[in-house]
Amino acid sequence: MMLNNMTRFATVLTLSLGAYTTSHAAEPGKPDYTKMSAEALAEHLVLESGSFDLDQPTQEGGTARERMIQDDLQKLCSQTRNKPNAEQAGQIVTAARASIQYPEGGISLGDWQKGGDLAWGGFGYRIGHNPDDHSQRDPSGNCYNCHALSPQRTGGDIGPSLTGYGIIRGDTEATRRFVYDMIYNPHAYFPCTHMPRMGAKGLLTQEAIADIMAYLLDPESPVNK
Amino acid sequence: MIRHALLVLAVTIGVPVHADPSQNPVEVLKELINSVDSAYLTQSDQNLMMMEDNPALWTVEEGKALFHAKRGPKNVSLETCDFGMGPGKLEGAYAAMPRYFKDTGKVMDLETRLVHCMTTIQGFPADDPAVKKLHGSDTDHMKLQSYIAAQSNGMPWNPPMDHPLEKAMRDAGEVIFYRRAGSLDMSCQTCHSVTGKRIRASVLPNVYVPQEWSKAISWPAFRVGHQETRSSQHRLRGCYWQMRKAGPVAGSPATIAVLSFWTDMARGQPAILPDMKR
Repeated sequence: MMLNNMTRFATVLTLSLGAYTTSHAAEPGKPDYTKMSAEALAEHLVLESGSFDLDQPTQEGGTARERMIQDDLQKLCSQTRNKPNAEQAGQIVTAARASIQYPEGGISLGDWQKGGDLAWGGFGYRIGHNPDDHSQRDPSGNCYNCHALSPQRTGGDIGPSLTGYGIIRGDTEATRRFVYDMIYNPHAYFPCTHMPRMGAKGLLTQEAIADIMAYLLDPESPVNK
Repeated sequence: MIRHALLVLAVTIGVPVHADPSQNPVEVLKELINSVDSAYLTQSDQNLMMMEDNPALWTVEEGKALFHAKRGPKNVSLETCDFGMGPGKLEGAYAAMPRYFKDTGKVMDLETRLVHCMTTIQGFPADDPAVKKLHGSDTDHMKLQSYIAAQSNGMPWNPPMDHPLEKAMRDAGEVIFYRRAGSLDMSCQTCHSVTGKRIRASVLPNVYVPQEWSKAISWPAFRVGHQETRSSQHRLRGCYWQMRKAGPVAGSPATIAVLSFWTDMARGQPAILPDMKR
């Protein structure tokens, strides 16, 4: 079947280009890229063409290949270019809510100073040419890349500003639950958001989430000064 | 002054301008700045000032000597290497890459084409440092890439989409650009589909604003933060590292697919070569 397609393609090319001698289609074991859909070719290039170092170990214990294979959420958000229809959005929200695990004894605030270090840190989970060594340092939250936090330093603005968040929202049960959910799996509220799933993907511990929440909600935190 | 005005006119109405390696690339950037309101293009006054003396201009000069020198086991220069415009013809060649090459049956970017010519024409073994060392201003690769690319300075990006493989790679590259994966669920689109947004203090280029995107893909560029001249492939590697995804293999098909898409998205806008970036 494949051979048939490849032969046919080579014939077509020979006819259309005349002196077509070296054929990409003739390479053994390599599919004819021009006969594949863009989606199928992209999948092939990412996972089957040797384009990435997929055997590299990751900090969470698997290999880079597992990181490159999409889960259902990543697939759906990529296919819809982050604009799921109402039905898809409903499915995403339902799945995201089901993914959230709450700490025993309820959601509490940790140490805002530690949370500040975590919020402003970009360390953790990087692989490739310079992997992060988690035995040297705990993974951080990367919050500052996309959010303005304390007024003293410049954060990014891909996400909304969180400066003064605790002053504006107060430290109620409902606020704590919302902030926890947003850090754990923000697709529970915003299907196909750009924001990572720091809890659902196991990137931050419960303790780290509690510390970052304190940085956002504690009245003593520079976020609220 | 007249040349200045003509260039503005050419850029505005989309007439292809001729490569002028003697023109300082900062002039090309200034034309782009005048053509669109962009926080990305104007984010660094310091870089604009420093570009007059961009260290990457030295990398270009070193590349010129290297390109014409007889080297490798076969003791020949790269003057017969075909970058798509015919043997040794460099003007505008880089602005029209990646492209399909009949002799290899592949779509190739500048880096992979250079590897091809160094190994076939000059006879370098594939593991020779001249071929294998890809990163840093002192490498043969960065010197040669910078020199070849500079021959497209000011010319509009124009990767051909004539061969079915060129189109297939470009379209797959678009899918890869949007393909969310990895620890942080990121794709290239996460950071590069809005205008004026920042990661920390850095304003990000938007793939949908071709004037911004033209500067974004203008590599080789001197990266001030690294104090090195860097390539497109190096930029890609850095983005995948930040996204917590697998490390791309230099010159691999997926990287060339992404480069095909990203070059197509800057189509018609003048290349700034070499550029300077933060």
